[in-house]
Amino acid sequence: MSEQAIVGTNAPRVDVRDKATGQAQYAADIQLPGMLYGKVVRCWEHAHARVKRLDLSAAAASPGVVRVIGPKDVTPKRYNSSVLDLMVSESMHDMLGDIDDQPIFTEHVKFQGDAICGIIARSEEAAERAAAKIVVEYEPLPVYLTAEASRAPGAVQFTPEKPGNLAFQLPEPMFPNHALGGGDVEGAMRDADIVVEDAFYVPKQKQCQMEPHAYVAKVDSGGRLTCWTSSQMPKLVQRKLAKLFDLPMNLVKIVPTVIGGGFGTRLGMISEPQACAMALAVPGHPVKLQTLREEDWVISPSRHPGKYWMKIGFKRDGTPVACDARFENYKGGYYLDASGTAFTAGAWLGGMYRFPTLRYRGESYFTNQGLTGAYRGYGNPQTNFVLEQLIDRGCAELGADPVEWRKKWHKGVGDDGWCPGVTYPSCALDQCLDRGAAAIGWTEKRRKYARQEGTIRRGVGVAVMNHTSGAMPMLLEHTACTVKLNEDATAEILFACSDMGQGSHTALKQIAAETLGFPFDHVQLSGGTSDVAGFDIGAHASRTIYVGGAAVKKACEEARRQLLERASLQLGVPADQLDIRDKRIFVKADPARGIEAEAITRAGVYHFVDPMTGEPGGVPGQIQGYVSFFAPHNSPPFGASFAEVEVDTETGEVRVIELVNAHDIGRAINPAAVEGQLEGGIQQGLGFVLSEEIDYDAKGRVQNNSFTDYKMFGPEDMPRITTILVEDADPIGPFGAKSVGESGLVSPVGAVANAIFHAIGIQFTEAPITPEKVLKGILEKGVRDYASIRGNR
Amino acid sequence: MKDRNITLHINGEAHSLTVTVNRTLLDVLRDELGMTETKYGCGTGECGACTVLVEGKAVNSCLTLAATMDGKRITTVAGLSDFGRLDHIQQAFVDEAAIQCGYCTPGMVMKTASLLAKNPDPSEAEIRHALEGNICRCTGYEKIVKAVKKAAQTMPGRAAAVEPCKEAVQ
Repeated sequence: MSEQAIVGTNAPRVDVRDKATGQAQYAADIQLPGMLYGKVVRCWEHAHARVKRLDLSAAAASPGVVRVIGPKDVTPKRYNSSVLDLMVSESMHDMLGDIDDQPIFTEHVKFQGDAICGIIARSEEAAERAAAKIVVEYEPLPVYLTAEASRAPGAVQFTPEKPGNLAFQLPEPMFPNHALGGGDVEGAMRDADIVVEDAFYVPKQKQCQMEPHAYVAKVDSGGRLTCWTSSQMPKLVQRKLAKLFDLPMNLVKIVPTVIGGGFGTRLGMISEPQACAMALAVPGHPVKLQTLREEDWVISPSRHPGKYWMKIGFKRDGTPVACDARFENYKGGYYLDASGTAFTAGAWLGGMYRFPTLRYRGESYFTNQGLTGAYRGYGNPQTNFVLEQLIDRGCAELGADPVEWRKKWHKGVGDDGWCPGVTYPSCALDQCLDRGAAAIGWTEKRRKYARQEGTIRRGVGVAVMNHTSGAMPMLLEHTACTVKLNEDATAEILFACSDMGQGSHTALKQIAAETLGFPFDHVQLSGGTSDVAGFDIGAHASRTIYVGGAAVKKACEEARRQLLERASLQLGVPADQLDIRDKRIFVKADPARGIEAEAITRAGVYHFVDPMTGEPGGVPGQIQGYVSFFAPHNSPPFGASFAEVEVDTETGEVRVIELVNAHDIGRAINPAAVEGQLEGGIQQGLGFVLSEEIDYDAKGRVQNNSFTDYKMFGPEDMPRITTILVEDADPIGPFGAKSVGESGLVSPVGAVANAIFHAIGIQFTEAPITPEKVLKGILEKGVRDYASIRGNR
Repeated sequence: MKDRNITLHINGEAHSLTVTVNRTLLDVLRDELGMTETKYGCGTGECGACTVLVEGKAVNSCLTLAATMDGKRITTVAGLSDFGRLDHIQQAFVDEAAIQCGYCTPGMVMKTASLLAKNPDPSEAEIRHALEGNICRCTGYEKIVKAVKKAAQTMPGRAAAVEPCKEAVQ
């Protein structure tokens, strides 16, 4: 198809009217007859302790209580609430060493909020009253909040499976010397004329999705377990629950609910095991388990914080010669996702610039902080904060323009992407840099702000990033899709990958309608329950449009092929000479000649043999297209962000005045939805670099589990935003599309940090860069003009 | 805990019920009356997802005791639309692609309704200020602000010759 009528338009979101009127049903909105209410009793006073005594009897006798269940009342099996173990081959799994270390109810508390027991009652109030009657005595254990503390000799071991509390390091033999890349880094670094190096800290950021986690679970009379959940990965949750509770998968049904924001927090499971354990304790009764915001805050995984060291060498002409890096991240008390971010932080690093020699080491250590797992960007903002600041430090030393340096040395078509051996099929980063620079007035402002006076200083900064579209080849990228044509030539599509609010189902429907040649409103797309929908790995790694869209397109192409073949018989014209538009099939060379698609679909379903002649009326059979699709690539998107900031050198406050996000997304299937992803990403990226971090006291208790104490950018804090969609079609993605879900968050991080550097001549190695840190930096180093830095003089 | 008999006039319909005095309006709407269009986001008045109108003014229903609402007129987001026909605010949110996950939307729409009732022609700065108590984690507020501007411009009864929306003071 040379021209698209539906792809590329701002088709209205499929779920938007329900959401605008409040009819959309999120998990907490579900009400079922005979429903009981669950409450998980958690350890709030300790982040590390053993349960010495647990007495459930007073709670069990409390009014309105149906059952109380503790560790001995549930399966002793453990689980891994994330899903990476299901996304790799068995041999890869063995090499990575993923483990199942989470109990449903624990006797060894490993973080504040760990689950102790569960109460099932006739009302939430009754459950809460009973929770107060649980008697539990703890033996406090030493609290380890950093890798340094938890790996110290004599530290309490989190699990015998991971000695030294080292949850993960890049494994041999895939990563020789436990490193991504390698070669003679030290030797290469000796050839450098200029070396920049620093140790950074990256923060523990929370997704803060607006819908707190909630579930309903029920066991029916046939022993079938049904779980209503807002997980991003319904099919993998089905398998996880089947494994945990020793049920065949056909006896576990997942009903995906509307998702009130994900950003990674719903990647895999959170409290599905507890909700289902409660339902199994009271067969026949649905049990609803809702989490309070302050509870959601501590029990759902956050971004991986930790120490990130990096060293980069350049020749005097700007040529980069080597990059050496090490990210030591602080896990929470359990293993989930320990392997993922430790790897990807280095993968994004490897995918960015043409370093002839690069070595990256990634390690994850257990600590008593809250759980860490998937969060939009998955290691990428951490790397961006570090890499992009060091590149700008290098540029300052070299006297190089940061935009020009990046244009010269970023990777592009034909270079290895984040996975060695998988090369970039498309790259429009130069366009992103050029258009972004023009939009913010780069050249003029860089010159103007290089010399300033007064207490208020301005600066502009740039940062770039690469991400991915699905996680092939490291992880399984498989999506099944079925499209069936109804007798009236409308289409119904079954596709299990969740829409978390990005608008992915709308864009997929556009792809389907475009491919079929049907109007947008004559196509329906359903996620379906796990017993109806085919396999899908889930909404992760920004894959839904690139992988899912390709699957939808292929299934629709198959249905279209069948439709045209039947039309070909009727029209006596070869199928390849036919086209479909608005449900009318016509001869391309003679558009007046054609047939309505409905005539064919109706004859296929309502198929009769003429009683007079015995002749069949058309080709029998309902047309269905089906594909079990495996992504052939991961066509990474690229982005360049430009920030203008104002630094108050007396208060340390940083105000972001403007943020330009220029993104190479291949093709925007629904431009308004793409903009929405980039704009929302900016809000989270600004939080990462300037304001957001979960704080703990010395005992490992969260100090800011509320929206008042945890600082996100509000509507008045947000800068002026310019979003630039660079559309340079990718040769592999559906209609040329690459991903956009995560990447908008990433490069605003480095751009803001670099703008601060430009404004006051100081770099900050700890994120978030709060006013306190800015003031401390100014006191220690003094404000200096960017123009006074060596290379710029 | 004591009970109290109250009558709530919700979206034009009277509901007489007995509530325990510590129950919040949010709990009563959602759990007692099954009106789940109003959302729980934090329970502490920080996120605004539970915003409803009481006598035309926006309140956080999670901080409001139902027992104090006897005889009051309450509007939820479902009260703005008539059998799926969207009102101008809801339509503006749809048209401007201001809805992503949708969880903050009922509160955002109700806060907009209360803002426009007081100030039918708000500047961008006034819109942003009014929305400070409503958190959205999806949109970066960009399209929500545009939707509120559009809602102001499309308000029924608004004179044909309206001034264009005032731009924010930079």
